[in-house]
Amino acid sequence: MLFPDREALPSQGFHQICKMKMFSVAHKTVFVVDHCPYMAESSRQQVECDVLTKSRAQGVIPLAPVSKSLWTCAVECSMEYCRILYDVYPKDKLVNYIVSDSEFHILNSWRREDQSTHELMSALAAVGPPNPREDPECCSILHGLVAAVESLCKITELQHEKRIALMDTADRVANRGRIICLTNAKSDTHVRMLEDCIQETIIEQNKLAAGSDRLMAIQQCELVLVHIYPQGEDTLVSDRPKKEISPLLTSEVHSVRAGRHLATKLNILVQQHFDLASTTITNIPMKVKEEQHANTSANYDVELLHHRDAHLEFFKSGEYLHMAGTSTRENGLKETVTLKWCTPRTNSIELHYCTGAYRISPTDVNSRPSSCLTNFLLNGRSVLLEQPRKSGSKVISHMLSSHGGEIFLHVLNSNRSTLEDPPSISEGCGGRVTDYRITDFGEFMRENRLTPVSESSHDPSGKLPAERAKAQLERHTRYWPMIISQTTIFNMQAVVPLANLIVKETLTDEDVLTCQKTVYNLVDMERKNDPLPISTVGSRGKGPKRDEQYRIMWNELETLVKTHAGATDRHQRVLDCIIACRSKPPEEEDRKKRGRKREEREDRTEKNGSKETDDKSWQDSERSVGLMDKDEQESEVIKDSPDSPEPLNKKPRLTSEEIQPPERTKGPVSLLTMWSNRITAVNSRKHQEFFGRASSVNSKFELYQHLKDENGMDVHENGKATR
Amino acid sequence: MPTVVLMDVSLSMTRPVSLDGIEEFQRKNLAVHGLNMLFEHMASNYRLEFTSLMAFSSLWELLVPFTRDYNALQEALSNLEDYDKTCVEAALNGVSNVVQQEWGSACPCQVVLVTDGSLGIGKGSLRHSLQTLKQRGDDKKFPLPFPFPTKLFIMCIANAEELQMTDAMDNLEELLCLSGGDGQIFTMEGPLCMKSVQTMFGKLIDLVYSPFHAVLHCGNLSSDVQVFPRPEPVVMDEEVEPMPRTVSTDLEIVGFIEIADIASPPVISRHLVLPIAVNKDVDEVGTGTTDELEEEPSASQMAGKSPNFCVLLHGSLKVEGMVALVQLGPEWYGMLYSQADSKKKSNLMMSLFDPGPEPLPWLGKISHLGPISEAADNPYGEDDSKSPFPVQPQVKRSYAQNVTVWIKASGLQCLRLLKCFLSLIKKRLTIKKCPPTVKFM
Repeated sequence: MLFPDREALPSQGFHQICKMKMFSVAHKTVFVVDHCPYMAESSRQQVECDVLTKSRAQGVIPLAPVSKSLWTCAVECSMEYCRILYDVYPKDKLVNYIVSDSEFHILNSWRREDQSTHELMSALAAVGPPNPREDPECCSILHGLVAAVESLCKITELQHEKRIALMDTADRVANRGRIICLTNAKSDTHVRMLEDCIQETIIEQNKLAAGSDRLMAIQQCELVLVHIYPQGEDTLVSDRPKKEISPLLTSEVHSVRAGRHLATKLNILVQQHFDLASTTITNIPMKVKEEQHANTSANYDVELLHHRDAHLEFFKSGEYLHMAGTSTRENGLKETVTLKWCTPRTNSIELHYCTGAYRISPTDVNSRPSSCLTNFLLNGRSVLLEQPRKSGSKVISHMLSSHGGEIFLHVLNSNRSTLEDPPSISEGCGGRVTDYRITDFGEFMRENRLTPVSESSHDPSGKLPAERAKAQLERHTRYWPMIISQTTIFNMQAVVPLANLIVKETLTDEDVLTCQKTVYNLVDMERKNDPLPISTVGSRGKGPKRDEQYRIMWNELETLVKTHAGATDRHQRVLDCIIACRSKPPEEEDRKKRGRKREEREDRTEKNGSKETDDKSWQDSERSVGLMDKDEQESEVIKDSPDSPEPLNKKPRLTSEEIQPPERTKGPVSLLTMWSNRITAVNSRKHQEFFGRASSVNSKFELYQHLKDENGMDVHENGKATR
Repeated sequence: MPTVVLMDVSLSMTRPVSLDGIEEFQRKNLAVHGLNMLFEHMASNYRLEFTSLMAFSSLWELLVPFTRDYNALQEALSNLEDYDKTCVEAALNGVSNVVQQEWGSACPCQVVLVTDGSLGIGKGSLRHSLQTLKQRGDDKKFPLPFPFPTKLFIMCIANAEELQMTDAMDNLEELLCLSGGDGQIFTMEGPLCMKSVQTMFGKLIDLVYSPFHAVLHCGNLSSDVQVFPRPEPVVMDEEVEPMPRTVSTDLEIVGFIEIADIASPPVISRHLVLPIAVNKDVDEVGTGTTDELEEEPSASQMAGKSPNFCVLLHGSLKVEGMVALVQLGPEWYGMLYSQADSKKKSNLMMSLFDPGPEPLPWLGKISHLGPISEAADNPYGEDDSKSPFPVQPQVKRSYAQNVTVWIKASGLQCLRLLKCFLSLIKKRLTIKKCPPTVKFM
């Protein structure tokens, strides 16, 4: 029965995913296929070879129909079972294939790389057909069955991994398995003998396994014995439903005629064993290429197998009972759910609400309709499927789509959403803000896209790629203002090269150079007094003055770079460059910038001493000016810097320095000072600078230098400074 | 996750509560008081929840269909009438119908059954229903378990001792077990009074209706958010990993992926991610005091004007057509994306993937997704013309390779060979008729 009794369903947790247990009997399947001489017998199902020669020419002898041997039938059907299994569960549902004649031949192992129909086919080709001349006395399926039990005790990679991962609770990893035996049994007693033998072997092997690390005791084994007999004969073995032989072993017997019936039986078994269900896609439009009907189109049906959870909604709601395409298996027909092909296709940019995606396997993989459908999907197109409803309303319930060469049946939600009509994001927190840096964050997202990194590539830091991705996000967001009006530098094209580079984990010398160039460029802009894209939102009037704007910009840039300065020496060099450039005004702007010097100097004193030497000397000279100021105006002026060293020797008074000190003080500036500053600034632009002032050192210039050389006199007159 | 409140309005609910003197209450009054408290809480803290109100005795009636209008629910509560006897089975059938009609059979649902613990007598009583559980035909099955995932909360307007004197407690426990075992039975502690009913509903609120608050991180950018509905714990494999996994309160963005690359992935649940003002999460479980409401507009206006990372993220995800991959816990991931409804209102949404290291085969292991900056060449190409996704499986599926299945005669490729042979034979025959000088091949 496809749909389990509701009462029999395990009690489910809330969002418990309805999957079979990781280590259910389905984890390990052993095929034991009889290779004894009697399997070489004909199945007596005839394959017509003559079907294609309708207009037979005279004199051609009609081809005699051929028939397959029992062995061929068994191999074909078991391979079909494996094909479906591997299509739907490419991982961790494992098959071990054993052939038995006078001894057993194990064709593959539990290892993942051995799990493919290709592997099995090559191994089977090497085995060849049964040898009818072999002594039937020494041939037996028992060899294979014993080997199957031994094989079930062997630990699989997944079991090993899980046991290691679970550590103390490794006993949660169960060891269950299923043996599918394809044979030609002699009688019911023979079957019983086989069952007893397996039971004994399990007990024996479990004892062995108890003392081994690489073996696990079998907790549950399911024997599925398929008795194959040629068509037209009466069976000597009766069908028997599943029965418990011991707590360890259950057994069921299927007695099947070879050929078509056997194929159907194994198809049903694979569905039962692996919780599969069938869907028939109907109304697939296909061009007919046969000669008679060129360029006409017909509709085809294709049957697919997949995990039965893709139909969960149907059998829960009872809807499946009404569906036209369904019929019960008891009638010998296939139970399938019919879904209709929908011509309006979906585009890949749409994100559907999908509650499940299940791998599919076509039941008839070679047929033309099947391969047309699968090729269509493999080419990257998706198809929506419509659920036929009694009411005639149209409901899209599924979607077929391929991802990387695998086709999935997606289950789409077709019910009312409980999340409908939510408050719009613009009504919530931050919803009224309109100047988010949406485009910039989009760019940020593009830079932080993910890509698969091969598992073999090992990072020296020992971090997994996903952790490195998070680390990159952390670096990129150390300073990231969210709105346009909060930032200046990110609105400036000129800063882009630096902003892109500084977030990198490591910088090359070339990167540092690019950053420095960016800084120099900014310095240049400042000298040219280029306008900055500073937002005036929220400020009254015209917003801050140009030099204030630059101050804001430099501060922001410094904040950005500071968050990265600790990373490497090269990052630090970029920071140093900024500090040096912003605080070292070009000479012609010297005066203009005086007003800011105090502040800048404070910044500098916070910094460590890793500065270029010329920078330092400049700083020293500045400081000495400040000291002199202090000497002049001790009464009113607050000390420039509390830890300034005492002057070594008292310098002569400098009358021209009078107006400067108030600018440096921390106290309020008097109206007079402000006025005189302004006048000074204006006046200074109206005349050519004196030679002496222009080439002064610390605003001092030694006059009559030539006399000094001639007279040896020490002239104490200094150059006039600003007046 | 919608809620159905199933209110017992049988006569036994009108039993007076024996209090010493002052005021006399019926059990019904206590139940209504408790439910009012629940609705008030939901109106202020969980208002996106759809709730419906059903009353039942021997019959059932849908008083308020699923709504977010908590005033309507409270009003309906105040107009309850009294009817005859309790018949839980009929009422549960009603719940099943109402929920499936509205939400289908996949949507998880919460049922709050409010009763006094006297579960009817004779036919139609819960005792009778449970006793005859096994002797029913397909058409008269007991409604539990519901086809949809259910959490059943039974609020007893009675104390545990009272219920244990009869078999009521056993019956209720069996009912809970039948529903799938997810849920709880609440009883009143101490004397039956307003205070103890408040305590009982308070527990329900704490357990089920307290908002789930988390912090969404993207490197150093972050935002306080409410995730609605509450993400539920998930059990992946009851045998290997029986402990349910829960969503962490720190949601960390790992990186970004194009919508076309993530390709409509299967998800176990969807949640709204609503930014919240930080000061708000102090009083989570308050009953929604009225004086707070007065301040709220100004507070929310303030919050609306300060930039929030969620809004920025939402805007960019929408514009770029991308999703953010977010880590919800150890080996558990989800995605954030912009979701627009039919009214063009859009919102930040989070979908949860199956827990595990590789929820989507076409992305490979999530822990092995790294930043593109590490790759030698940009895997998306300089002009975004390519994509590193989907990840190709090592082995091709049967339909993607040239396999041959010989079971059906039509699948036999050798027939084509035969056809060729036949045509050759025909040719040979014609050749034979030709003058002997012409030799065959």
